[in-house]
Amino acid sequence: MAADTTNLLTVRDLAAHYGHIEALRPTSLNGGPGEFVTILGPNGAGKTTLLRAITRLIPSSGKVEFKGQDVTKFKTNELAGLGIIMVMEGRGLFSDMSVKENLQIGAYKLPGSQADKDRQLDKVFTLFPRLKERLTQTASSMSGGEQQMLAVGRALMADPKLLILDEPSLGLAPRVATEILSTLGSLNKEGLGILLVEQKAPLALKLAQRVYILSSGSVRAELPTHEIKSHHDLAKYYFA
Amino acid sequence: MPSIVELTQSLVTGVGIGLIYGLIAIGFSVIYNASGIVNFAQGVFVMLGGMFAHSILTRYGLPIWLSAIIATILVAAVGVLVQIFVINPRWRRNAPLFAIILATLAVQLLIEQIVILTLGDQPRTYPEFTSGGPLKLGPIAIPYQLFWVLGVGAILVFALTQFFNRTPMGRALRACAQNREAAALLGIPVERMLIVAFALSAGLGAIAGILITPTQYTAYLIGTPFGINGFIAAIIGGFGSPVAGLVGGIFLGITQSEAIVFFGAGFRNIISLSLLLIVLMFFPKGLFGGFAKKA
Ligand SMILES: Nc1ncnc2c1ncn2[C@@H]1O[C@H](COP(=O)(O)OP(=O)(O)O)[C@@H](O)[C@H]1O
Ligand SMILES: [Mg+2]
Repeated sequence: MAADTTNLLTVRDLAAHYGHIEALRPTSLNGGPGEFVTILGPNGAGKTTLLRAITRLIPSSGKVEFKGQDVTKFKTNELAGLGIIMVMEGRGLFSDMSVKENLQIGAYKLPGSQADKDRQLDKVFTLFPRLKERLTQTASSMSGGEQQMLAVGRALMADPKLLILDEPSLGLAPRVATEILSTLGSLNKEGLGILLVEQKAPLALKLAQRVYILSSGSVRAELPTHEIKSHHDLAKYYFA
Repeated sequence: MPSIVELTQSLVTGVGIGLIYGLIAIGFSVIYNASGIVNFAQGVFVMLGGMFAHSILTRYGLPIWLSAIIATILVAAVGVLVQIFVINPRWRRNAPLFAIILATLAVQLLIEQIVILTLGDQPRTYPEFTSGGPLKLGPIAIPYQLFWVLGVGAILVFALTQFFNRTPMGRALRACAQNREAAALLGIPVERMLIVAFALSAGLGAIAGILITPTQYTAYLIGTPFGINGFIAAIIGGFGSPVAGLVGGIFLGITQSEAIVFFGAGFRNIISLSLLLIVLMFFPKGLFGGFAKKA
């Protein structure tokens, strides 16, 4: 099959298993440049498995392409340089390190001078002013919402082309979750490609241009968001 | 009851040997923090440092400082080879940590055998870096070599602290320690970081061995006792920052040498191992777990 150069991310027949458990059946999906794609699915659907396979954290069969380049054989750490950054489930912060150090490490792959890194840091502070007030605090000493802001801010320090997020609103007060998801919305308006995984988040639907429904390890539906009128409509796909 | 002079003299000795344990402890912590691996071949780097420095010194007649630098680089290279040929293949296959740790033990035995075959089994030593001494403070004698140990120890701990806190590579190493997957997702090459950790750790062990050889001796079998004491020091220091490792070493060194004064030389290991058990039981994060965390 010819490489797909119109998409930012192309996933073909990606499948993964843990021992005998087939957590992800062959799954295909794609995301265009600057597109906001949301993957919805209940707990245990295989969402995290899918994202971990895309980012090469777990072995899988199938193919992952980024900007038409086959990255299936790449190591996880080689993806950041291409512009793919993932905010892991549970945030994956360096919890004993300060907010500032977390952000500095986020810029590990950011090309350019110190001035470029400082400019990137300013951008993140504009999006999440609270991080600036907490610079010297350790990551673990912050509230859940602030930690999630740090996780997103740290990912943005690498100036990604595609930002992948695994349930960023999990465990957060609705107001904080809304704040973070809205920020993702504005980043997307500036051209950042977003692949967002959530269990249920009306806002994640509203922001997305396209939605995949994942259930029991397979994609059950792919819909433009305007076809989903209400959250109740989703239920039929979950159990289809 | 031992006299004040005896106690003070053994304090001096204890600080000296404790600094050496501390450097070895830092070596343990660097690898452990970057990977979760306890490298039981750590003591072998100490032995190789002294052996290589001695060989270079006697065979090529180079000055001690140059021999020391070359020996340190060579031992760091051995550390890199160990990582590439022994650790990494297992690491890539996601081998259980205990299998990797056992492999490091095999490395220790293997290197010891190679040393016996190539350099022989005879103990060897070389003069202190600065001749003369000891410095006499009344009845207390301080060997000049102790000042070298103190000075080099202080410089190394300062340099390492700067490295871990202020350089991208040092921060990346700490990031791998805290969350390997998150580090990889941000573009940090975790396997290459592990090579850096082994090189650093082997180099530190070598420096410890090079510094201690003039006041004792080196031979193929000194790896084990230094490895064990460095490991205990690392546990006391909580596998934390370089400062914590060094303090853990000094704490162990002083305890040991005071124990010798009170109970006799035979008690040295009993005391260290008792200290280990006490720390493990009451301070599982190390005596300095609190500040060690800040790295
Ligand atoms: N490390 C693992 N070992 C074994 N089974 C796992 C592991 N991780 C996830 N699973 C199983 O795979 C399935 C999908 O899990 P996951 O991808 O985490 O789902 P989601 O992120 O959608 O909640 C679940 O049935 C889960 O129990
Ligand atoms: Mg999940």
